[in-house]
Amino acid sequence: MALRVAPAAKRIAARGLSNFMQSRGMATEKQIFNQIQSTKNIQKITSSMKMVSAAKLKGDEQRLATAIPFNSWTTALCGEPTLVEDATFEELPQKTLIVPVTTDKGLCGGVNSFITRGVKDCVSKLNAQGKECDIVVIGDKGRGQLRRFHGDIIKRSCTEVISPGTFSLAAALTTELMAAGAKDYDAIMVIYNSYVNAAVYKQRYKLIKPFSGEGEDEPMMMHEFEPDTKSEVLGDLYEYMLTSQVYHSFMDGAAAEQSSRMAAMENASKNAGEMIDKLTLQYNRARQARITTELIEIISGASALED
Amino acid sequence: MMQSTLLRRIAPTLTRRALSSNAAEASSVMTLNFNLPHETIYNGATVSQVIVPGAAGEYGVTADHVPVVAQLKAGVLQIMHESAGEPEKYFVPGGFSITHDNSVTDISCPEAVKVDDIDPAAVSSNFEAARNAYTAAEAGSAAQAEAMVDMEVYRSMGSAVGINLS
Repeated sequence: MALRVAPAAKRIAARGLSNFMQSRGMATEKQIFNQIQSTKNIQKITSSMKMVSAAKLKGDEQRLATAIPFNSWTTALCGEPTLVEDATFEELPQKTLIVPVTTDKGLCGGVNSFITRGVKDCVSKLNAQGKECDIVVIGDKGRGQLRRFHGDIIKRSCTEVISPGTFSLAAALTTELMAAGAKDYDAIMVIYNSYVNAAVYKQRYKLIKPFSGEGEDEPMMMHEFEPDTKSEVLGDLYEYMLTSQVYHSFMDGAAAEQSSRMAAMENASKNAGEMIDKLTLQYNRARQARITTELIEIISGASALED
Repeated sequence: MMQSTLLRRIAPTLTRRALSSNAAEASSVMTLNFNLPHETIYNGATVSQVIVPGAAGEYGVTADHVPVVAQLKAGVLQIMHESAGEPEKYFVPGGFSITHDNSVTDISCPEAVKVDDIDPAAVSSNFEAARNAYTAAEAGSAAQAEAMVDMEVYRSMGSAVGINLS
């Protein structure tokens, strides 16, 4: 009797087990265990990345806090930066050079996607308005994302930009922009992420126009110029202003990047934690099924001996 | 030329002051914004006078100054505070100074150091190195131009701390 029941019980248990295996699509206990271990490692990495980003964010926030008063004099000449969201780009002139500020490294959340989306939106709206534009990309991620659809209008790209940025870096970028023929464009549009606080960042763009105009339109008519060669001073002032604006956008973008990376790594660690919990439950079930199988084998073996 | 520039600048200021007899007392202080990329030195500070090393010469800015856009050359920027006393001296290698018509002056420089913090020995040795680079460089090359700029900056830094380099 015991003999007849035991194999039946074993068969039922075995079938139940194999059903269990098939419905999970997961194989053995060992594999689940390996998956739990690797997920734990990932969780360690992402949570340490989050802490590093939080520390770097402090430094970037301070640099931004100094960059804002440094750049404040340009607002009188260029105007306040405009939000990219719901922008019509109607005030852009005929020929614009778009400079998106993106990152080189990944794992930073949505910062780069928002910028490339803004650039694509701007290009399509400008084309609809019959205006021309070219792109000089800063950052590897932006280059990769924009190359697919707008590769033909990317004039230059600046990658492997060492962070944190300095004024010399901004000056080098401005030299690159000037070499790309910045003077030939009616305006340069710098599009960047603007840091609001540790949880929020917004995309903004700045329009920087070269000083030009004769007679009535003459720029800065009220001011005297020292030295007297107004056009030369204006030319140098334009370059200095461009450098200052690029520096500010850089600092703003860097702070936004760190805050976004912090949030992304926090989410990744949390998700990894949830996955570990789920896998642990599966692992326990698999382990218990194995123990049950072994018990049944032992019992049926013992009962076979009895008889 | 300098005299006429000076007169041209003072004349409007004097005229304005003479005309504003009944109006409220012309503000005798000006607002100064003096910023570096990595440091905010003065943001909206009220001072009594600033002496700016413009490319065409040094000039002083007080309240109600005529609006000026000046490119700066390497030199000493002096800030006189309302509480009279020694002016604060900063050495700047260049930059821009924009004076607006509301007595606000924005001075933006890539770098600035307090003259007190300059080490004369370092200035002399750096000047020597720049001069060697200048003579070693090919005539008309970018390296020579850079060395020349270095020499000029160190020379004026030297004169700011009282050593004569040439």
